[in-house]
Parts: sequence; structure tokens; C-alpha cells
Amino acid sequence: MIRYIILICIGSIALSSCNRCSSEKTDSWNDIPQEVIDGNNFEDIVVPVDVINQMVNVSSPVETAALIKGLKIPFNRDYLADTKFTNSYSTSFKKALGLGVFGADMGYLNMYEKPTLVIDYLSSVNSLADGLQVGQFFDFKTLKRIATNKENLDSLMVISQQSFNKIDNYLKQTNRGSLSVVIIAGVWLEGFYLSTRVYQDSRHSRIRETIGEQKIVMSNLMVLLEIFKKDSNIAALIKDFNEIKVLFNDVVITVVMGEEPIPIVKNGVVTFIQSDKQTVEMSDETLGAIIEKVQSIRKKIVEG
Amino acid sequence: MKNIALFFLLTAGIFGYSTVAYSQSEDELVEICGMIAGEATFLKDFKIRLDSGDPPPIQRFSVILKKGIKYRFSVCNSKDQDGKVVLQLLDNNRLLATTHIVATGKDWPFIDYVCTKTGAYHLFFSFKDGKSGLAVGLLSLVEAEGGS
Repeated sequence: MIRYIILICIGSIALSSCNRCSSEKTDSWNDIPQEVIDGNNFEDIVVPVDVINQMVNVSSPVETAALIKGLKIPFNRDYLADTKFTNSYSTSFKKALGLGVFGADMGYLNMYEKPTLVIDYLSSVNSLADGLQVGQFFDFKTLKRIATNKENLDSLMVISQQSFNKIDNYLKQTNRGSLSVVIIAGVWLEGFYLSTRVYQDSRHSRIRETIGEQKIVMSNLMVLLEIFKKDSNIAALIKDFNEIKVLFNDVVITVVMGEEPIPIVKNGVVTFIQSDKQTVEMSDETLGAIIEKVQSIRKKIVEG
Repeated sequence: MKNIALFFLLTAGIFGYSTVAYSQSEDELVEICGMIAGEATFLKDFKIRLDSGDPPPIQRFSVILKKGIKYRFSVCNSKDQDGKVVLQLLDNNRLLATTHIVATGKDWPFIDYVCTKTGAYHLFFSFKDGKSGLAVGLLSLVEAEGGS
């Protein structure tokens, strides 16, 4: 009898351990395989965790697309990056930049609910994520199934976003924060590029303003890139981006501070409405120069 | 005596197993939080894990919010810990929004924020009364200017 009880105890503890093992596979937070930390072929700079945690979350592939769609500007496939260059992204740096660019394009496609076109971008993103050893966070099969069957397109957006967030967290936790910042730079540049193309076609004043507002977003992104400037690839990217930054010197952004927002409860939802007023001023020449520079840097990056 | 010791060992083994089996993971909390956010489009999750303390410890994140976007911030607590999370949105030193309305004493599972200025904002997460806790915060997009 005593033997049986001991066996049950050992069994319980063993099961408990196994359960911990299986949950670790899906919990990107706590479990970082040593081979991933050690097997990093990207010239990396280790940044303290508290600095990593203070990194500003600069860019989402969804917000720019939502803004464009919200203004009733029609979808245009020609704005998107060509995926035919994916295989030529041979280094981790290029893969990370490509991942950001295609991630932004997926946000645009998902926002306009174009699942058929998404599949091509899914394949590229999956291949680049595998190349960076973060493919385990990208649920390619599920995403492809949803896109192919055109079922529950909302979940296509959610799973895509979550995958990118998991990749971002994992890279930061595995001392590959530099790659995370490069992905963010790719997302930002592609979103910026989309805005420039949309402006050229629509001449919409709000899109013009959005282009000017990138001065603020870029200043935050540059702080992140500067952390890793010892890496030669990132130094080169900073040099390219500085050419845009110089043009932003002629963009004037004015903010009139308002009162602190007061909560308004309506239909069971509490809403805070910011009362600050922000205006952006720039000449047509400055705008033209920014558009030209952004498009030329983006071309160089997409074509590898 | 030996049997009593074995009984405790057996109980501890089974209890330990069941605790692990039913504890909530951060990913589960993200899913629950997503349901709280409703129709809003998921943008980013923030995982909060704090020890108890006085004054209450704060976990801080920074985000860029964009003019013309209505955002939704939702929060949810792990059932395994006592702490009830409070989110505060700040711009430099100004409190712009919070899930805990002091005037009414009410905690909201989500709040909406209409942004009129593109820039860096700070999210401060803490647990009420300085308790330890595990929680998730979610940033979602409700609509863009013009009504997306």
C-alpha cells in the first residue's frame, strides 16, 4: 500500500513538472532557450532590461492604415512592397527590416480586408521570421487557413498583431533588442511610405499633416536606433534616416495645451477626450523633398 | 505516524500539480482582455507583474499615440493573485486618463481615449493598496478620424 502511495506522489510531481514544461513552450516570457541567446549571428549590443522596458512603442502597422481607410481613401495594391525580393534578404538585419515592411503591408491589407492578397505577404513574413529564429511565434498555418477560407477576418488582424508583439517581446528578452528596433524601423518606414503615396494620389490635408507628424515619431525612433548605433548596419540606417530628419527641421509643429480630460460616461463606456490642439506647418517644397527622400530610402530597403 | 506523513506528501503532490495546471498564463489573460476590449482592433499588450510594496510599485511603458485615433485601454487581473490593477495614462506629468475614477471610486475594465496630439505617452500600471499582482493591459484601436 505504501509503495502505491509513494508511486502516486511521484506521479503527481512528475505530471506537475511535465505541465510546467508544456506551458513554457507557449509562454514566451519566461522560457528562452540558451541556444537562441548564444546562437545570435547578428552583431548585437546588450542593453539593460530596464532600458529595454523604457523603449517607446513607436509604430503599429494598423494605425496608419486605419487613418487612411477612415478618410475613405480607396485601397491600392500598387502601394505595397514587392515580395519577390524576400529571398535576397540574406542578413539578419535585412530580414528584420523586411519583416517590418511586410508587417506594415499586412496591416494595410488586413484593414481593407484583402485576405487573398495577404497570403503572399504571410509567406514572406513566415520565411523572414524563420530566418530570425522567431518563426515559432508566427502561426502561419492558422493565418493562412483564415485568409484562404476568408473566415473571421478580424482574427487575421488579431493573430498577426499578436505574433508581431510576441516576436518583439522575445527579441528583447533574448538580448536581440537591436533586431526588434530594426523591425520597428521597417514598420515605421513602410507606414510613412504608404502615407506619401496616398498623399500623392489624394492630396488629402489630413494625410499631409500625418506626414509632418512623423517628425515626432521619428525623433522617438532615432533614440531607439542610437542605442544600437555601434552596429554598422544600424549606423548606416541612421545615416539614411538622418537625411529625412534634416528635412523635418523645416516642419513646424505647434501644440496648444488644453485642460486635463474629464471622463464622460455614455452607454456604459467611459471616454476621455484630449483637449490639446496640434497643428503642423510645412511648405510644399519641404513636403515634396520629404516624400522624395522617403520613397528613395524605402526603394533601397525593399530591393535589398 | 508514517502513514500521516505519507498522506501529507500525497496531498502536497496533488495540490502542487493542480496549482500549476490551473494557474492563468499571461497569454490567457491577453485573450480575456481582448474579449473585454470587444470590437476594438488589438494593437499591443502589456504584461504586468509586481511585488507588494508601500508606496505601490509601478510598472511603466511608453507608447506613441496618434492624433485622430480613438484608443481603448483594457485591463484584466490574474485570478491567482490579490492585486487589482490600475492604469494611468500620462503625458509628461499630466494625468490624462485612468481606469480608476477617484470621484466615483469606480474601476473600469476598459476606457476610451480620443487622442488629439501625436506624441509619446506613458502608461503607469500599479496594484491597488500596493498588493502584489499579475495583470495584462491591452491597447486597441476603436476608430480613426472620419470613422474607420
